[in-house]
This record gives sequence, structure tokens and C-alpha cells, in this order.
Amino acid sequence: MNTPVPAISIKGLTKDFAVTLRGVKLRAVDDLSLTVEEGHVFGLLGPNGSGKSTTIKVILGLLGATAGDVRVFGVPSHEVESRRNVGYLPEAPYFYRYLSGYELVRFYARVCGVPRKQLQARVKDVVDWVGLSKAADRRVGTYSKGMLQRIGLAQALVHDPKLIVLDEPTAGVDPVGTAEMCELILKLKQQGKTVLITSHLLAQIEDVCDRVAILDHGKLIVEGSLQELVGQRDRQALIVDSLPPADIEALRGWLVSRGHALNAIEQPRARLDQLFLSKVSRGGHAGASGGVGSNVVPKSSAPNTSAPVAASPKPKA
Amino acid sequence: MTLAFFSSRSLRTGVVVVTSLVLAGLGLRVVEAPAWEVVRSRQPSLRLESVKDALGQGVTVGLLGGFRAILADLFWIRTNYVWEKYDLPATQTSIKLVTAIDPRSPYFWLNGSRMIAYDMPNWRIDKAGGYDKVPDSVKRHFDEEQSAVAIRYLNEAFGFHPDSPMIRLEIANIYLNRLKDTETAATYYRRAAEHPDAPYYAARIYAELLRKMNRNAEAYDYLKQLYPKLPKEDLQASAQTVLGRIHELEDELSLPADQRFKP
Amino acid sequence: MSAVSVPFSFSRLALIASNTFLEAVRQRLFNFLLLLAVGLVASAQFFRDFNFGSSELKFIADFGFGALVFFGSALTITTTAQLFFSEIENRTALTLLAKPIWRAEFVFGKFVGVFAVIGVFCALTIGLMMALLWHREGQLMTIDPEAFASGRIVRYGDLFIVGVLQWLKFGVLSSIVLLIATFSNSNLYTVVTGFFALVICHLQYLARDSWSNVDNLMLRVLVQVLGLIFPNFQLFNLGDEIGQGAALDPLLAGRVAVYAVVYIAVIGGLAVYSFRNREI
Repeated sequence: MNTPVPAISIKGLTKDFAVTLRGVKLRAVDDLSLTVEEGHVFGLLGPNGSGKSTTIKVILGLLGATAGDVRVFGVPSHEVESRRNVGYLPEAPYFYRYLSGYELVRFYARVCGVPRKQLQARVKDVVDWVGLSKAADRRVGTYSKGMLQRIGLAQALVHDPKLIVLDEPTAGVDPVGTAEMCELILKLKQQGKTVLITSHLLAQIEDVCDRVAILDHGKLIVEGSLQELVGQRDRQALIVDSLPPADIEALRGWLVSRGHALNAIEQPRARLDQLFLSKVSRGGHAGASGGVGSNVVPKSSAPNTSAPVAASPKPKA
Repeated sequence: MTLAFFSSRSLRTGVVVVTSLVLAGLGLRVVEAPAWEVVRSRQPSLRLESVKDALGQGVTVGLLGGFRAILADLFWIRTNYVWEKYDLPATQTSIKLVTAIDPRSPYFWLNGSRMIAYDMPNWRIDKAGGYDKVPDSVKRHFDEEQSAVAIRYLNEAFGFHPDSPMIRLEIANIYLNRLKDTETAATYYRRAAEHPDAPYYAARIYAELLRKMNRNAEAYDYLKQLYPKLPKEDLQASAQTVLGRIHELEDELSLPADQRFKP
Repeated sequence: MSAVSVPFSFSRLALIASNTFLEAVRQRLFNFLLLLAVGLVASAQFFRDFNFGSSELKFIADFGFGALVFFGSALTITTTAQLFFSEIENRTALTLLAKPIWRAEFVFGKFVGVFAVIGVFCALTIGLMMALLWHREGQLMTIDPEAFASGRIVRYGDLFIVGVLQWLKFGVLSSIVLLIATFSNSNLYTVVTGFFALVICHLQYLARDSWSNVDNLMLRVLVQVLGLIFPNFQLFNLGDEIGQGAALDPLLAGRVAVYAVVYIAVIGGLAVYSFRNREI
């Protein structure tokens, strides 16, 4: 039985940058080894300057590794072939300001080799899916940050890649935009896509990641599933109606009698971002079409863009 | 620092770039050398010492960089400007500057010499008190001086246009019209007429000057040799006029009928 | 591991080129320089005041070529540097190069886009100059038929060829600027170095002429090497003669064209080589 090829395989990656003419170097990534399995949403976390973006650039072949081996679906990352099934949304993306949203996505679709016959439908579908159809005829130069992120996601998805790399996708985006981006990531996950996401805002991606790795000063500090890393397996929380003091005392006694302890009594609170989202209208957000699109990424009929692409989205079972 | 050039990889890239360019340059000499020989021969060397004081550094670089023609044009427009102001020293300097920058256009030599020989004597006469007050001897002196400058200037042009009939004609005109030296003028008209590109009138004027100097027989022989070479259908060649002149000379020389020219 | 490799694609190259072209023509600099060049050519009307006769045509041609060479060089250097660095500085290159494209496609796409922009500039400037010359020559032919006894003086076919050769020269200049841009870290540095390279390419013949007989062997070799590194742009200086009605030797034009095309290919290839290792 063949071992499945991981979406991303990083072994002993080291990346140095020359910072002075005398050869003094800055080590941005130090002997990093990671594996991202296909179908996972993987969070690469760490403070600013921890080496997240450098790692992503090496994965995308934009930077060469000083040492180590980086492969995407088994292909060395310095080869053009490795980028065939990759979609990339850079941090705070800038696009050709003079193009409209449609023109921009169309341009990248053609760069990625989406067949001409399916180009129009494919572009329309993916723009609809990210919720920008109403603003897609406007020049990109007039877009807000949140809209830029979404048009960026559209260009990353237009050739229906298997791996999507999102570099700080929520940086500088308001809570509504952030929530929508998280929804989109979850939908990608439902599609079976592999997503590599970096962020220094941990709470934002906590809800979407299967596994996370934390980098600091270029070194891998910790890696594992969220449950492994932050779950407290020896404890449980029960949420009940508001109890009078007498009932609480009775409950405590009952627990003690059965050999357990009541460790804490707290008033559950909604998260502030949830409160914000419940109060703020998302329908007309940033000139978009009214929130994100359907649950299903418009999917081409084959993962490889050289194959025909479906004219319209088909919901996945 | 603007360059990220000194890492070993960059150094290797630099060496590859320089080596490749040198090799490309060597390989391309096969096509460059013969082409450059032709282009270079058409660009007379720039006499920088004669222009560098009059021009700024930027203009000099422009000249060396291939903007000679347009810079000469611009200085010629400036020449016209000072000429309109009757500024003799400025006009004379500017005329010489233009041909120092770009001696390739005969237009500059011809028109520059006309300004020197025909306009400047008048300016000097005006400055000296006007035609009524300036004695004829002084007027003549001005004519001679300016004509000498113009002829010297036109002789320089032969360095760049050694066969030009138009420059010879211009010298001839100055000798004839300003210096009233028919003998020398005739010599220049004859030399001009010898050139295949010379206008037809050069030969006719030469013959006319011979007549004027009472050398009718010489004029008659010259025109007899000239006539068969003239294209009869070309109005500019004025073959009929030349034939008429031949018959007039035969009358003046009282030639018997059997010795007369029969075209 | 996938066995299918991504082949070099001329359609992707053309896509990048057309996008570069679109960006360039929407830049104010292009419109500004084009307007200046057109203005300079059109200012030929001013020569009528001087009554230059048939030599007025030489003045129109000289100003036309002057505008073409001067503004064309400025446009080539600034546009090449700007269009390359706009991708780097605006980080659009990040998105583009993260797609399955070759860096050679990017570099040559940029070159072709800029070359097309310069082509439009050359075509408009030369076209306007030729139209002006044709119109004015027609007028002068009625005013002074003697000067045009053997027909029109201006050789329009040769003018067109010289225009094409200038365009090729700008192509060589553009590839030089692109090469500089691939290892430079700023637009300003690229533009300044590009102008220096332009001046050296125009003046290298002086060094070759002056120093070829120098006694000092080291100095002689150094000058010769410099003469080999930089293309000789004086070779393209054919417009002056044409403006005066001289004929263009087709063999000479062919040699100059080959010289330019080979240099574009070599320097363009070196730009790809240099950019291949560039960290984005």
C-alpha cells in the first residue's frame, strides 16, 4: 500500500539572509521540520519575525532554502511544477489597481492555465463564492482591505488548487471580515482542501485549524492538534441554568460524596467577537454581494487545471 | 545599501554576466565592425576644442552622444535670432559654431557665408553712419574684409565637402558680386561646372564671364563642347539658350558659314 | 510525485506582456513623454517662420529623430524600471510568481510589454514626423519646384527603417535596464544606473577610438573590455544622414538590426539568469 504523499513536507529547513556586506547573516528559519497532511487546515503560528512568512515563501519557491528539503505534493518547492496545485493569498495583498475584480481574477486564471472555454464561468463562480460579485466590476484600487482579501482568495482558488496557502489572511481586517474569512476557510476544509494558514492572532484561527505549529525565532517550539495542545483531558465543564446558592451547595456535596470536586463556578460569557457579529449587519459589508457565497467552492471537474472545469458549482455531498 | 551584490551567488552571477557580455561583444564584432566603419566615416570628428568654450558640459555630452544634428539646428535658429538683431560678432561666432558642431549640412555653410559676405558689410556701413555718409572706399573695404572672411569660411567647408559644386558656386558668387573679380569668379564657376551634380547655369555663367572678359573664342569653344552634353528635354539645361549664345558668338567672331556650329 | 512538468508557455508570456503594456499606457509618464515628443515634432511648424526652403525638411527630420531618441531613451529607462519594480514593491510579483510560471516568462513578459510600449511611442513619433514631412514637402514642391526637380527629396522608406532600428536600440536599452533591475533593490538606483549605461553605450566609441593606440597594455585591454561589455549605440545613429536625403544602405541596416536583436537575446537571457536567483 502506497504511503499518501503529504501536501507539504519540510525537512531541516534553514534560511539565512545576508544583512551586511561582510557576510553577517540573519537566520530566519532554523532547522524546521514539518509535515502538512492532505485535507488538513494547518496553522503556522508565531509572533512577528518568527519565520512564518519566510517558510511560506520557501514553500512557494519565492525564496531558496539555505539548507533542507521542502516539497509540495512530493515535488521540490524550487520547481515550477510544485506550484501547479497551490493557491496563495499573500499578507496584505496588493493587486493591479487598474484592473477590475473580474479582470484581475481572469488574469490569474489565465496565468494558471484555466482553459479559455471555462474561463468566464470559472471566474464568475469564484468571485460569487467569495461574495464579491456586486463589486467585481469596480477597479481593485477602490477596494477595502477586507475586499482585497476576498479578491485575493478568489485569485488563489480560481484554478481549483489542492493546497491553499493563506499568509496572515485576517491581518488588518475588521471582525466581520475576519469571521467571513474563517467561514470560507471552513468551507475549503469541507471541500477536502489542504489549507496552510499563518497568523499571529491566535484566537482567530483557533476555531478553524486541525493542527498548529508555533514558531519562535525561526525554530519550531511546538506542533500538534489543537486538542493535544490546549485540551485539558482531566477536566470537564458543565453549563447549567442559574442555580440558587443552596442548590450549588447540594451539588457540591453530591459530587464530594461520589469522589469528585467542584473546582470553579463561573458566569459563562459570550465572546466579544460573537457579540459584535450578532449586532453588526453583515449583509451590506464592504460593498460585497451580501456575505460569503455557497458552502461549496466552485470546483473544477478535475484538480488539475489542464482538465476541463465545471461550468457551475456542484454541491459536495 | 542599494545593492545586494556581494554574496557569493551574486558574485557568481556578476562574473557570468560580464563574461557573457564580453563574449557577445567579441562575437558581434563580425557584424559591428563593418557597420561601424560606414557609420563612423559619415560622422566627421568633432572639433571639440573649437566649441567646448561656447557650450556647456551637458551640450558637449549631447554632441558626443549623437545629438549633433538637432543641436546644430538649435544653434542655427539662435544664429537667425542674432542675425535679425544685426549683431555681427554674435552672428559670426554662432555661424562658425553651427558648422563646428555639424559640418555635414551644406545648407549651414552656404547660408552662413551669405550672412557674412552680403549682410554684414551692410551692418558695418549702417553702424559707421549709413550709405550716404560712409565714403565708397570704406564701403569697399568692408566688402573686401567680409568677403575674405566668407571665402575663408567656405574654404573650410571643402574639408567636409571636397567635391561640392555649390560651395564653389558660392565662392564664385562672392568674387563676382562683392569683389567684382571676374577672373577668379570665372575660375570657380568653371570648376563648379565640371562636377556632374552642378546646376546647368554654372557653365552658362562661366561662358558669359569669358565673353565679358572679351575671351569670345574661348567662350565659343566652351559652349560648343557644352551643348551636346545638355539634355534637350530638360528645361533647366536651357539647351536652346546655349545654342542661341553659340550663334551670337559666331556672329561676333564673324565666322564663315562652313565653320559654324551645326548641332 | 507528479511526473508532469510545466512547460515554458508563450501564452503566459504574452499575458504578462499585455498586462505590462496595459499598466504602462495607463501611467501618466507615458502620456507625458508621448505628449512632449509629439509636441516637439509638431513644433516643426515653427520652422516656417525662418524660410529655410527645402532645408526645412532636414530641420523637421532632425527634430523628429531628436524627439524620438531623447524621449524614447527616457521612456525606455523609466518605464522598464518602473514596470519591473511596481511588481516587486507592490508585491504583485509575490502573487504572480507563486503561480506555476517560469521566471523567464516573467522577465521576457515584462520585456515584451515594455518593448510594445516603446513600439507604440516610436510608431506615433515617426508616423507624425513622416506625415508632417510629406505634407510640408508637398507644399514646398509647389513653392519651389526647382529644388524638387527630381521629385520628392525625403526617403520615407528609409525613415521608417531608421525608426525601426531606433526601436531595436531601445529594446537593447530596455534589456540592459531589466538586467540591472534584476539585481538592484530600488527603482531609483535602476533608473540612475540605466541612464549611466545609456551614456556609456553612446560614448564608448570615444574610448575605443582614443585608447586603441595607448602604450599601456593594461589600460588598452581595460578599455577594449569595456568596449565589449557595453553595446555601441552610436551604430544606430543613422537618422542625421537620412534627414538630409541620403540613402540608407540595406546591408548596413541589416547588420545593425542583427546587432540589436542578438544583444536583446543575450542581455535578456542574462536578466533571466540573474532573476532566477532573486529572492522575492
